[in-house]
Order: sequence, then C-alpha cells, then structure tokens
Amino acid sequence: MNTVIRKLIAKELHVNRLLVGIGVVAGIGSTVVAAFGPVGFNIGALTWLSTIIGMGVILSLYGIMNERKEHALEFVMSLPLSVAGYVRAKMIGLVLCFFITWSVSVAAALVLVFAKDSVPDGIAPYLLLLSVFMLANFGVVLGGTMLARNEGTTTAIVIITNMGVTLFMFIVAPMRGIREFMWATAPVWNSTFWAVLGCELAVLVISLTLPLLIVARRRDFL
Amino acid sequence: MTDKHIEMHGVRKSYRFFTLDDLSLDLAPGEVMGFVGPNGAGKSTTLRLAMGLVAPDAGEIRVLGQPMPAASAIAKREVGYVSADMHLLPNATLGWHMDFVKSIYPGWDAGYAAALVKRFNLRPGQNARSLSLGERIKAVLLLTLARRPRLLVLDEPTTGLDPVARHEVITEFMDVLHDDSRSILFSSHNTVDVERISDRITFIDRGRLVESSNKEDFLDRWRRIQLQLPEGAALPALPDLVSRNQDGRFVTLVTDQFSDGFAALLAPHVREVQRMSLEEIFVANVMRHREVRGS
Amino acid sequence: MYSGINISQTDARPMYLQIMEQIRARVAAGDWPPGKELPSIRALAAALNVSVITIKRAYLDLENEGVIVTRHGKGSFVADANGLAGELKEAQLQEHLEQAAGIGRQLGLTSEELAKRLRRALESK
Repeated sequence: MNTVIRKLIAKELHVNRLLVGIGVVAGIGSTVVAAFGPVGFNIGALTWLSTIIGMGVILSLYGIMNERKEHALEFVMSLPLSVAGYVRAKMIGLVLCFFITWSVSVAAALVLVFAKDSVPDGIAPYLLLLSVFMLANFGVVLGGTMLARNEGTTTAIVIITNMGVTLFMFIVAPMRGIREFMWATAPVWNSTFWAVLGCELAVLVISLTLPLLIVARRRDFL
Repeated sequence: MTDKHIEMHGVRKSYRFFTLDDLSLDLAPGEVMGFVGPNGAGKSTTLRLAMGLVAPDAGEIRVLGQPMPAASAIAKREVGYVSADMHLLPNATLGWHMDFVKSIYPGWDAGYAAALVKRFNLRPGQNARSLSLGERIKAVLLLTLARRPRLLVLDEPTTGLDPVARHEVITEFMDVLHDDSRSILFSSHNTVDVERISDRITFIDRGRLVESSNKEDFLDRWRRIQLQLPEGAALPALPDLVSRNQDGRFVTLVTDQFSDGFAALLAPHVREVQRMSLEEIFVANVMRHREVRGS
Repeated sequence: MYSGINISQTDARPMYLQIMEQIRARVAAGDWPPGKELPSIRALAAALNVSVITIKRAYLDLENEGVIVTRHGKGSFVADANGLAGELKEAQLQEHLEQAAGIGRQLGLTSEELAKRLRRALESK
C-alpha cells in the first residue's frame, strides 16, 4: 500500500484518538455497570448500544463531512494520490477507528456473558449477531456518507440506519433458531445463526467496497 | 516527446451555468505564467483541471508528461498546488502538518522549511483552526514550497496578504526560478505582481482564452494615445482599435497592435502616447469583449 | 552586488529600460569595469523579483548597444570596447552642451558670451 495512503490512515487514527478513547472507556464502563443486577443491566446495555451506534455516527459525519466542510479536502487532494486512493484511505482509516471501540466493547460484553452466571450464555450468539449488525450498520453509514453529496442525504442515512437497530431486534430476536436458544445455559451456533451472520458480513463488504467503485468514477470529485 | 510542464489542448468543461471551452495552454520549464481574468472566467476551473481534481469533458491534458486526471497521483508527486480557499486539516498543528508532508515527500527541505516559518512569521505550535486568513495561506504555501516541487500551480496565492507578506511570498516564488527546470503557473487579481514576475501572460474571460503571449511583447503592443485634432478634422481610418473616445477635438484611442507605422499614421495630431499597465489592459480587454458580445 | 538596482512601480518607463539604464550608469561610472561578469539572468531576476524575460530583454538590448558582451554558456560581461565608457561619457557631454546652448539662447547670450562662461567654469574646476 502506498505511503500516502498509509500516512492518511495513520492521520485518521491520530485525529480521532480522543473520540476512540472515550468510546473504549464507555464500552468497557457500560459492561461493568451491566454487571450490577437487572437495573444495572438495562442501563449498561442501553449505554453499550448507544456508545457503539454513536461512535459510528460521529465517525462518519465528523470524519467525512467535516473535511469537506472545512475545505481541507483540497489540501488532501493536492497530495500524490488518486480519488480512489483517497476513498480507500478514508474508509480503512475510519473503519479502523470504529473497529477499536467496537471490538473492545464486544469483547467486554462477551466476558460479561460468560463470566456472570446470572446472564445466560445462550445469549452469546444473539449478542454477536447484534454486534456484527452494528458493524454492518456502520459500513452502510460510512459508505453512504462517502457517496452523499450533501448533508441532507447524510442525515437521512443516519436516521434510517438508527431505526435499523430497533428493527433488527424486532426481526431477529423472534426468529426460529434464535428465539428458542437465547436463554439457554450454553450458546447454540446453528444454521440460522450462520445465515444471519453471512448476510450481515455481505452487507458490510458491499457497503465498504461500493463507494470505492462509484466515487472513483466521478468526474467532479471536488 | 516534449518536456513541457503543462499542456492543454482543446479542453472543455461544462457546468450548469458555465462552460470552459476550447482551452489550449502550455507551460515550459523555467517559465512563469500569470493567469488573469475576471471573477468567474474559469481560472480556478482551469487550475483544477491541471491538477486532475476534475476531469475534462473533452480535450487533452498533460502535466509533467502525465495524462490528467488518469495519472494525477504520479504527477502530483512533483507538483505543488495552493488555492486561496485551501484549509489545513482541522485539529492539527502546523508542526504536525510539516511532519506529515515531510513523511510523504522525499524532497522536503527541513532547513528551508524552518527558514520559511520565520520569514512568514508563523509558529509550528499553531492549531490549524486558529490561523487567520493570511496565516493560513502562508502556511499552505510553506508546506508546498519547502518540498521544492518542480511545478507550482497557484490559485490566487497572495489573497489576503498584507504588502510585507506579499513581498516575502513573491520573493520565494522568484527564488524558485534560480532553477531553470522549475516553473510556475499562477492566477492572481494582483495585476502589479503578475506584470512584474510573469514571463508569459494568459488572459481568460467567460470560459474562453482571450490571449496567451510573451509578457514584453504583449505590453509592447498596447498603447493609449491622446490626440488633438485640428478644427473640423476627422480621424483617418484606423484598423485594430480596442476603444475610442472623443470629447470635442480631443480623442483617446486604445490599440493592441501598436507599431511605428501606427504612430506615423497619426503623427501630427498626437499629444501623448502612453504605455498601459496590465490592469488597464485587463479592463480594456474585458470591456471590449463585453461590447462585442452585446452584454 | 546588485542590491542597488531598483525597479520603480511608479516609473512610467518599462522595467527593462529601467534596468538597462541602471546598468549603463554603473558601467559609465566605472563601478562595473570592463570585463566584469554580470549576474546571471536568473540570479538577477530572483534578486529583483522581476521576470526572467525582462532581464533577458535588457541584456539583449545592452548587448546590441555594445555595453555588454554575452559569451554563450559562460555568461555576460561588461564590454571591453576601447573607451566604451568614454563613448557613454561623450554622449553625456554632448547632451549637456546642447542643453547649455539652449538655455544660453533663452537667456539671450551670444556665442562668445557662452564660450566665456564655459572657460570660466573649466578654470574654476
């Protein structure tokens, strides 16, 4: 990978370090809170969800729109890289930022599930599906923001994908193959699980690669 | 093939309310080209096309031998681009930007960069957000000049600079010319600077090229001539007039094809022959085109 | 070395003429003696913040006047023409004499009276 792209990815991590740090702390912290009884669990779970979703929204909006708004895009495009290179650097950089918070938070949540007896281990598959869903969700928000030409479209994307999380919970939780095993003492990894996981990963991959193809073809990048 | 730094042939770019049409331009190494025209004439668009930031609808563009925008990533290794509305990355300091640019370009001259920081009166610890207009432009110029690019493409680089800063900046541009393998293309509303440091001047108006010539020849061709006609006399038929103004017996002519022959035609009536500044030529040229277009 | 050369923005004369005049003055005064190497075109352009093409034109015209000589690949030098500085001084003297004659006539002096005044001026120096 060429130097400029690598440097831009490093820049993305550097510029967002405070945000990612807060996300990591919030992700772990909310898991700790969730360990304290049913009330704590509700508060912790809600905070945990908000942290991950919020991180995704802020990273996409701030990471992409800000550069455009602040006219910093011209500076970046004066560097020796192509439009495709820019898109690649941006996407990889922001995904890495998100991934740090996401992976730490998910790991913490899994630790809680397996360590705490009052939380049934059977919920692990559902937890993973929810987590990967949010990762795919981020991919869609990021990809959409990259393609969007104005703030209105971006806001619409953010609103719609936020509703998606709720939809997920309503659609996947009652699914046959998930519902029966959510409260079991041991996790069940069945075909339903793998099918849903497969879909989520496909969405993730598509949402991240599509902008690359489309934006690179645009003739008026600036 | 050719060693020109910039070549544009028949370039066309259409926007909803504006079209840049049939633009041909070339820049040789060692040259400074001043690019002038009214606001909205297409200067920024032309410079963006040269940098591969937008793709033309028709025509060919080559920069440092590379086709644009296809090979823009390669060309940009040796081209420095500065535009007046360029901003640094938010939430980072000038010092961070210097390290960032240094890590990307092998040609970075740290000593020169440090000298420029002093000369431009900047501080590496300054946050990008806190820079004033003038400081911001000087910062971007610093980041570009310090890596000694072969070609400089500058879009109104002296905007918002006070006279001292302008002098410092122009001095650095001229310093580039010690090396006859480097060149500069710059657009500016500051006709005094353009007139002074350009080897060639290119004029653009409403998306079309009006003129592109050697500066000295260009300035030599334009004159304002004050005449006083005797009672009842009329002017001889004159070709190539840009404008003509009559106030009783006093006539003021502007021509862009001045020659000794031209002067001879008018000899007995001439009160004064004046050279024109680039600013005056600019205005006369644009006014003439507007009249012709009937606007 | 050439920091004294100046281009005036308010001078109506073109830049190349201003440069030529200042170089000629230095040659005439002897500050730039015959054989002295002139700054390279690019060096002078950078020092004066003036386009290369303007310096080129000045040097070309100075060469046509015989004030300087350009050796291809080596640079430009103040011409070694015998008494070239003298030629310039000759031109200066002629100009001053014609001016004096003109003023003398305006004052109504005769040629003899004017010649007497000139002799007195020579004696006092």
